[in-house]
Amino acid sequence: MAMDALTAMTTEDAILTLTQWLSPAYPVGAFAYSHGLEALVGDGRVKTADDLRAWLEDVLRCGTGLCDARLLAAAWKAASAEAVASIDETARALAASRERVIETDQLGAAFGKVTNDIWQHEANALCYPVALGRAASLQNIPLDLTLRLFLQATVSNLVSAGQRLAPIGQTEAQRLVRDLMPLCHEIAESAKDGDLSNLSSFAFMADIASMRHETQYSRIFRT
Amino acid sequence: MLADLRQAGSLKCLFPRRSGPGLESVLVNTAGGVTGGDSFSCRADAATGCTLTVTTQAAERAYRATAQDVGTIRNELTAQPGSRLNWLPQETILFDACALRRTTHIDLNGDAQLLYCEPVVFGRLAMGESVRTGQFYDRVEIRRDGRLLYLDAIRLDADIQAQLDRPFVANGARAMACVVYAAHDAETHLEPLREMLPDTAGATLLEPDLLVMRLLAADGFVLRQTLIPVLNRIHRSDLPRCWMI
Repeated sequence: MAMDALTAMTTEDAILTLTQWLSPAYPVGAFAYSHGLEALVGDGRVKTADDLRAWLEDVLRCGTGLCDARLLAAAWKAASAEAVASIDETARALAASRERVIETDQLGAAFGKVTNDIWQHEANALCYPVALGRAASLQNIPLDLTLRLFLQATVSNLVSAGQRLAPIGQTEAQRLVRDLMPLCHEIAESAKDGDLSNLSSFAFMADIASMRHETQYSRIFRT
Repeated sequence: MLADLRQAGSLKCLFPRRSGPGLESVLVNTAGGVTGGDSFSCRADAATGCTLTVTTQAAERAYRATAQDVGTIRNELTAQPGSRLNWLPQETILFDACALRRTTHIDLNGDAQLLYCEPVVFGRLAMGESVRTGQFYDRVEIRRDGRLLYLDAIRLDADIQAQLDRPFVANGARAMACVVYAAHDAETHLEPLREMLPDTAGATLLEPDLLVMRLLAADGFVLRQTLIPVLNRIHRSDLPRCWMI
């Protein structure tokens, strides 16, 4: 079956499949999660597009961006369902807060539910980057492409959350997504070995914000 | 009660007489710090039904070393059913151009309880010190009955201070701590602990019996001002003497 998929999947098919999976229309509900950004806006630490850029750079380079990319790559390379389960256990143990666990767990469960059904994958409920890496591997979609589109979709989703929380215009929001493209490439390059002994997460202020969001009085996002 | 003790090299262990329950073990690094090529390892086991507290006599110091010749610290801790392990070392102070890799593996069995706290100070601010270059890799893995419960993985390289200055990394803070409390009553501490934290710290309940805190502070002294009441609350005011100051 793997060989059939390998011969059948052209680069164009791979791009279209990933675009479908990572589209805001794909029913994973990514719009409901701000990754702790809502707490930072509430505390006045993120007010402008420049603040949002700094937060995204730190989260991508020093926090969950690079970690999730590495977990995705590890799941893509995993040889068996048992190996995937072990990567999933690592992903959950690495989550910095209760809400981060909920975010990656629920996104992954929603992604798995619809993807398993349509593409006839047999995968257990997995954290989001692990579920995506495993699905891409089962469809023989190249890892490089998966990492880059995943990181861009992550940026796009969080910028959109920022627009709903702070007075950031459409043009500057899209400029931000465009400007962070080189960073997405850089992170994809360093994460693609999928070596989990190299995991590193030290976006402490972003993590603390995600803990503090749990008690935020007025909130529109789940995380 | 101590069942077995082996020590070698410059890492020694003292057992001060104390009034509270359980055994308190104070690690002493007679070399006064860690530098390139040093290799320290510590193994400890809290036996069934016992309480073991491990602390350090002084702050650990990671001195200048070359990146090719890192110092390593390896801690392997286990706790058997019905036991309580308290891992409460004093701060690890990183000096400029340090090269330290530390791994801590903690294996809890059955209903074993754990209180873990590792404070790190990035250069002594009051002494005008900074960490412009260096390497600090720290990886903590906590398992219960073989399942990975908690993973903390930090790899700081090159200009560590510049990275800590990033607004959503540490926003200029020079001291950081991670606190983990794994016990059946973890949830009861969550709300009271949250009320004790400044806005540069957070607490969360990752699982019903797993509470985690991350704290940032301007320097080691300010960090202690928050940590001591927090640890006292979890540990019923039974902290090792070095934590009382």
